Formats: sequence, structure tokens, C-alpha cells
Amino acid sequence: MAGGRFSLDLARPSRQHWLGYILLAPAVLLIAAIIVYPLIVSVDLSFQNVGIARLDQPRRPFTTANYERLFTSPDFWNACWVTLKLIVVVTSACFILGLGTALLVNNRFKGRSVARLLVAMPWAVPEVIAVVIFAWIFDSSFGLMNWVFLSLGLIDKTINWFSDPDAAFAVVATTMIWKGYPFVSIMSLAGLQSIPEDYYAAARVDGASALQRLRYITLPCLMPVIGVTTVLVMLWIFRDFSIIYVLTGGGPLKATQTLSIMTYEQAFSFFRMGYASAIGVVTLVICVIAAKLTMRRAPDNL
Amino acid sequence: MARIVIDQVRKSYGALHVLKDFSLDIADGEFVVLVGPSGCGKSTMLKILAGLEEASGGTIRIGGRDVTDLAPGDRDIAMVFQNYALYPHLTVAANMGFGLKMRGTPADVITRRVQEAARILDVEHLLERRPRQLSGGQRQRVALGRAIVREPAAFLMDEPLSNLDAKLRVHMRAEIGALHQRLGVTTIYVTHDQIEAMTMANRIVIMKDGEIQQIADPETMFERPANLFVAGFIGSPGMNFLSARAQGGTTRLFGEAVPVPPGADGDVTIGLRPEHIEAGPGAVTFMARPSLVESLGSEKYIYFEAPDDNRPPGFLKQSEEDQRGSRLIARLVNAGPVRIGENVTLSFDPARLHVFDPATGKAIR
Repeated sequence: MAGGRFSLDLARPSRQHWLGYILLAPAVLLIAAIIVYPLIVSVDLSFQNVGIARLDQPRRPFTTANYERLFTSPDFWNACWVTLKLIVVVTSACFILGLGTALLVNNRFKGRSVARLLVAMPWAVPEVIAVVIFAWIFDSSFGLMNWVFLSLGLIDKTINWFSDPDAAFAVVATTMIWKGYPFVSIMSLAGLQSIPEDYYAAARVDGASALQRLRYITLPCLMPVIGVTTVLVMLWIFRDFSIIYVLTGGGPLKATQTLSIMTYEQAFSFFRMGYASAIGVVTLVICVIAAKLTMRRAPDNL
Repeated sequence: MARIVIDQVRKSYGALHVLKDFSLDIADGEFVVLVGPSGCGKSTMLKILAGLEEASGGTIRIGGRDVTDLAPGDRDIAMVFQNYALYPHLTVAANMGFGLKMRGTPADVITRRVQEAARILDVEHLLERRPRQLSGGQRQRVALGRAIVREPAAFLMDEPLSNLDAKLRVHMRAEIGALHQRLGVTTIYVTHDQIEAMTMANRIVIMKDGEIQQIADPETMFERPANLFVAGFIGSPGMNFLSARAQGGTTRLFGEAVPVPPGADGDVTIGLRPEHIEAGPGAVTFMARPSLVESLGSEKYIYFEAPDDNRPPGFLKQSEEDQRGSRLIARLVNAGPVRIGENVTLSFDPARLHVFDPATGKAIR
């Protein structure tokens, strides 16, 4: 080769695909090191009776005891139920708020860019800070929420937000909705802007009312975006830890204990890492199935 | 089916007047084409007619009903869009029936009318497909189908053929013409293509800078253009323009005395269509040295310089794609061999000349 011993001519037709592999390599290696390897380790751990996992210890004997225990544990089914409730409540509320705000700020009006910024604001606030603010808002003695409810005459004595199971769940859900809806809003807005103006003009000539245009044009055209966004929001709720952990720690009476909180608690409070790994693996399987189901529906609509 | 009366419709954005006092009376069943260069206001007029944009002034009546401030859906019109605006998530049948569905028409009536329209447009086999599975021509048919199932009082078409390739465009042009013959629905068609206007229209409305230049049938538009703009816009290749001085009913062109209408006096702009120049001697004969010869098989375009005395005026702006300076074009049918640089004998009939006032651009007859 003319360019010396180390020259590597990637422009040759026969080597065109090399560049792709070379560029992919760092990301693939990184993912293998920080995701795939721990994943394999935790699947492995879930089949062992391990307290504190240590890589320098020999493998414990294979057992399915963790899974047997898991599926018979009321705590696990409770965590599943709490997670499901959170997903349904938070996802639907995020979509109503997110789509609504996106539709609003998609209109032309004065101060639109400011409005768009405000809608997206909660997304920019760090999760822990948001949670601390909400913890103050819902403080049972000094909180804003009790004062508002009292002033409006909705309640006659203060609610103890963090010791009542239903109230605690409501607080967690509210915080997650506030933190989660801007993502839906941003994604929907991007989707809305890609819908050609002519579709609406044609629908108006066809006599479609504003509501019919939303139902028959906007929503179907947004379906691909909505599908992907639903999956991402759902996975975020599955894995979110800091909001619940900081607000309630999973309590009271495990009313806000999701699968991720339960995993953390088993692994790092009770040091049952084999058991915790089993919860993690089951969560992963549920997530994959849920994502598959959601994604499969979306392209059918377009 | 309806008569459409547009009376002094205006549109302005602040100080910018995109449409100035547009008045037009369209007879029931007429095919009217609005044509002009981009930015002439033709699409704005159509949108105002459809109710998609608000007029700054004036009134519109469709079938005797004042629709000036009526919603698009209440005007009993159907519109065909340049990029078809077919909904990607609906089947062809659902796209075509959309307007009826929005009006609460019973499902069996929708099915029947969609079938009927599909048969007329020969898209019956495509009804269950999605728009993205269709070719450009098929999408165009479906878009037309969506308009005709509604059985509206008028069709509005906004450059419906401009996304098709040249061959398909010619084909669809004929089909739209035939469809209009068959249905007899009042149609207003917007295009920038003068050939579409000439071939399809009962009447053409030529616009420029928001103003109507001339309203006439295609023949008249070609034979008796009202002004320089119309003369240059209609015809392909465009009209040749020469400058000359007229006195006592004559002027000199190519060194020859040529009679002109008595109204012409002083500086005039003379228009002569390329197809009105013939090979060989005739009423007014002159020699020309071709600088370029284009042969299209059946005909030849001969490019040659205008004589110094008749150089076209510099201010004369022809349409943008037709800037040819002082070069003239002759369109010769069945001419013998013509070579670049070798003199040829050409002639024209002075009765074919168009005379314009160079100051106002208006035709002198």
C-alpha cells in the first residue's frame, strides 16, 4: 500500500461497512460492560441464594427458591398492583395534560415561545428538587395543599398526606404526573408540527368540526409518536426510584411500594441480593412484554 | 351546481395588497382557470373562495347564497389540493367517504357513493389500500374522487397536477376535462401553467400582482391579448417583442414598411408570435441569420437577433423562464434544412401583429 504500513483505506467499496462497525464499537463495548454484563450477573444471581453479592466468591448452587418465594409473596403482588396503578394513572394523566398543552401551544398566539418554555419547565427541574418541593407542598402541618383545600372548604381538618395510604399514593402520582407530562407535551408538539396543514384545510372543506379534526386527523397522525412516548413514559414509571423513595420510601403500609422500590429494599436494606435480582429479572420481563404490546399496536394505525 | 359571483374581493396583509378588487361571474357548469406567475394571488383567491382564508373586503355568492363569512364546510364546495392531502391512516374508501361521514351521511349511502365515484375514476380495485401504497396518478384520482363523492356545487382545484410527471400530467389534464364534461359541475382551477389553462378552460383569468389582467376564453386570450403581460404569458414559446415607431398607420420592421392600426402613433411595442413567422417569402419578407436551431422533429425553433432598429425595449419583462433579451424565435413547421449562421428567408403576415403602447402595456387595436 502506498500510504505506508498502517494506512487503512476505508473508502474502498469492499470496506465501506468497516467504518460503520468501527464507529459502533465504543458504544457496543460500553453497553456490554455496563448493561449486558450486570444483566447477566443479576440473572445468574437470581438463581442463587445470595445475601451480599461478591464477585470473588464461588457460585452458590443453582436454585429456583427465589422465584418460588417471589410468586407466593403477597408483597410482590402488592408491588405489581401498585406499579400497575401508577402506570395507568400517571400515563393517562400525562397524556391528557401533555397532549392538551401541546395542542394549546401549537396555536399561534402572542407569547407562544414563553408558553412553550413554561410547559416544558418541569422537565428541566432535577427530580430530587421537584420531589422536595412537592414534599413541602404536601406537608401535613405547613403544606400549601392542606391550606388550599381548607380555604376552599373541601376538607374540614388537615389531611395527613404521608400516613394515609390513599393520600400517599395520590401525592406520589401527582408528583410523577407533574414531572412526566412535559415529556409527552414536547413529543406531541413535535408530532403535531409534522402534520401537514393541508390535512386540516381538506377536513375543514369536508365540514369536519374542531372535535372531529382532533379525532380523525390529529390523533391518528400522532399515533406513531404516541406509541413510542407511551412506552418511554411507562418504562420511566417502572424504573423511577427517586420520586417515591424521597417522598414516601414505599410506605405507608407499602401503599407506594413499586417493583423498583421493592428491589432496592430487598437488595440494600435486607441484603437479599439473590431475591432482589429475581424481582429485577421479573420486572425486566414485564417491561419487555409491555413495551412489545404497546409498540405493536402503534404502527397498525398508520 | 351553481353560479358563483365574486364581487370586489380584496385581501391585504397590512400595507401589502395581495388581491385587489377581484370580480368574476362564473356561470353554472363553467370551467374557469385562474392562471399567473407565483405570487399573483390566484391561490389566495381560491382559499378565500373555499373559506380557508378571510377576505379583507368584498362578497362571494355561491348559487345565490352569500357565503362570504360561511365556514368552508357550509359552502357546498369540494377542494382538490396540490399534494392531494389524503389522510395516510385511512383507506382510499375511507378517504373518499370522509366528507360524507363528517356530515353524518348513513354508512350505506357513503358506500354506494364511494363505489360510484371509484367506478367513474377507475380506482375500484384500490379502495382498500392506503394512500402511501398508491402511485402519484392514483393518488390524484383518489383526491378527485374525494371531491366528487360529495356532489358539491363547485370544485376548487389548487394546482392539482403539479406533482405529477410530464406525461401523466397531460393524461390527467384530459381526464379532468372529461370529468368536467361528464359531471358538468362548476370548476375553478388554479395553475401557473398556461398550457393547462389553455387546454382545459372555458374561460381563463390571467392574474399578476393581485390584479386581473384579462378574462377571456382561450382563443381570445391567444388572438387578442389585452396587454403585454398577457401576450407574453400565453403561448409557448412566448411572443416576440420588437420596438418601433409608428406614424400615419405604418411602421418599419426588419427594414420593411408594415401597416399598423391607426390608433398607433409614436413609440410602439410590436408583438409577433413565433408560430406566425413562416419560412419562405410572404406578405412581409426578411432575411435572418439563425444563432441557434432547435429541432423538435415536427417543428424547428429558429433563434435570431432582432434588427438594431427594432431591438426590444429593455424594460420589457417577460415571464422569468422566458428571458431571451433581443433574441427572436421563429417556430417553423415543415421547414427545409436550416443551419446556424446561414441566412434564411422568413416572412409574416402583418395582420398577425399585436401592437402595444409601451408606456401602459395596453393593446392598441
